[in-house]
Amino acid sequence: MARNVADAARKFLLLGQCVPTVKQNAAKIRVKRLELDENLLMYFKKDEFFYCHDPSKICKTGDIVLIQALPHKLTKLITHEVKEVVYPFGDVTDPVTGKKVAKERYREDIEAETKLYGKLDSTFDYNKAPPRGWQEGKKDFTSKPTYTKFHVFDENDPYAI
Amino acid sequence: MLRSVTSSIIQCRGIKHQVKIKWVRPEYVPSYKPEKSGDLEPISSFPPDTLGKDYALSEEIKDAPEAVKKIFSIAHLGQKEYNVLVKNDLMERVKRHKYDDHTSESRIARITGHIRCLQLTMEKYPKNVKAKQTCQELIDRRKQLLKFLRQYDYKKFEWILEKLNIEYKGHPETYNKLSRKESLRKLTEMHCDDIRNKKLNDYRNLLESQQGPFLKEKLEALKFIKSEQMELQLPVTVTDQDIKKVDKQLEEWKIKDEIKQQAKKKKRSVLLEDSE
Repeated sequence: MARNVADAARKFLLLGQCVPTVKQNAAKIRVKRLELDENLLMYFKKDEFFYCHDPSKICKTGDIVLIQALPHKLTKLITHEVKEVVYPFGDVTDPVTGKKVAKERYREDIEAETKLYGKLDSTFDYNKAPPRGWQEGKKDFTSKPTYTKFHVFDENDPYAI
Repeated sequence: MLRSVTSSIIQCRGIKHQVKIKWVRPEYVPSYKPEKSGDLEPISSFPPDTLGKDYALSEEIKDAPEAVKKIFSIAHLGQKEYNVLVKNDLMERVKRHKYDDHTSESRIARITGHIRCLQLTMEKYPKNVKAKQTCQELIDRRKQLLKFLRQYDYKKFEWILEKLNIEYKGHPETYNKLSRKESLRKLTEMHCDDIRNKKLNDYRNLLESQQGPFLKEKLEALKFIKSEQMELQLPVTVTDQDIKKVDKQLEEWKIKDEIKQQAKKKKRSVLLEDSE
């Protein structure tokens, strides 16, 4: 019985968010859950972290992904694998209409408004924009965790603050 | 119990550490400095005879005499007009339309212009507390705006970093104060990791160098067994596939080994050149 439950639990898919990590061959996923405090009879939020196998590097920092437990542990750390990216970070699609959204407005509407005012050359164009990741490690340092600078090394690490 | 007894008998305060690690405390950098705030570009420069922003729109100034133009140039109007031009220049880079001054990109651009002006002020007058305070507030505000922009529109976020020449670094997990003990601990950990990795690498190299001779031996042995079995008319247990497999492995190893040897030679030559 217990074994069946454990097997069933292993097949569960978990929804979590990818967080920055130093590990190069794995993704670190944070799964948010609520935990019942039996004394207070109140739920408190609890974060769990899973290191997930992601050989083709489909998920980037901030993405909401589905993960599943591996049948066997890959390493001491890596216990899960990334199934699919559900919501890519910063690229929201409205589930009802299927249109792209920026904050609380459709991108179409924003563009229409800009056209009414008179579009300039400096306007940002979504169609011409390259996919996410072209500034990674150049000006956008979010893929790895930052830390307080604690020593003067020969090479300057941009992730040290 | 035992630990407390041993520590009281053996004095460990005076023991010198075997590991030679020298800790260099990173120099304090004020947070308004460009390297901390993430501004990769200095303040935009204009020639001193550029007209002020509003005066340039005037019709009369176009055919006015030189002296009048000089009066309405930024060299004459002062730093305030210059700063207006700086903000305008940055906003022009990202503006959606002519009347755009409230969208996130133009706000970030305007704040960036203001920050760069204040950084210039701070360089001239490092004791100006008001400027320092405003600068810090604006840097925090800009970081917050960039954080929000990153959350709902990643493509635009990257584009704006490129256009305005700003760096964005995420917040660290904890803002702990720098201490000697913790830094030394981290350095020692790194030192230990280095030693372990070096030993592991050496052992891997040793094992890999032994692979070639072993494979050669195995190939010969397999061939010998097969010929013997054929000769004595016993059931043949060694197939051609086995031999081919070993042959393939040996060839792969040879290619790998050659690459390694070349890398070694290169390293040696570089070292020799350096010593000369």
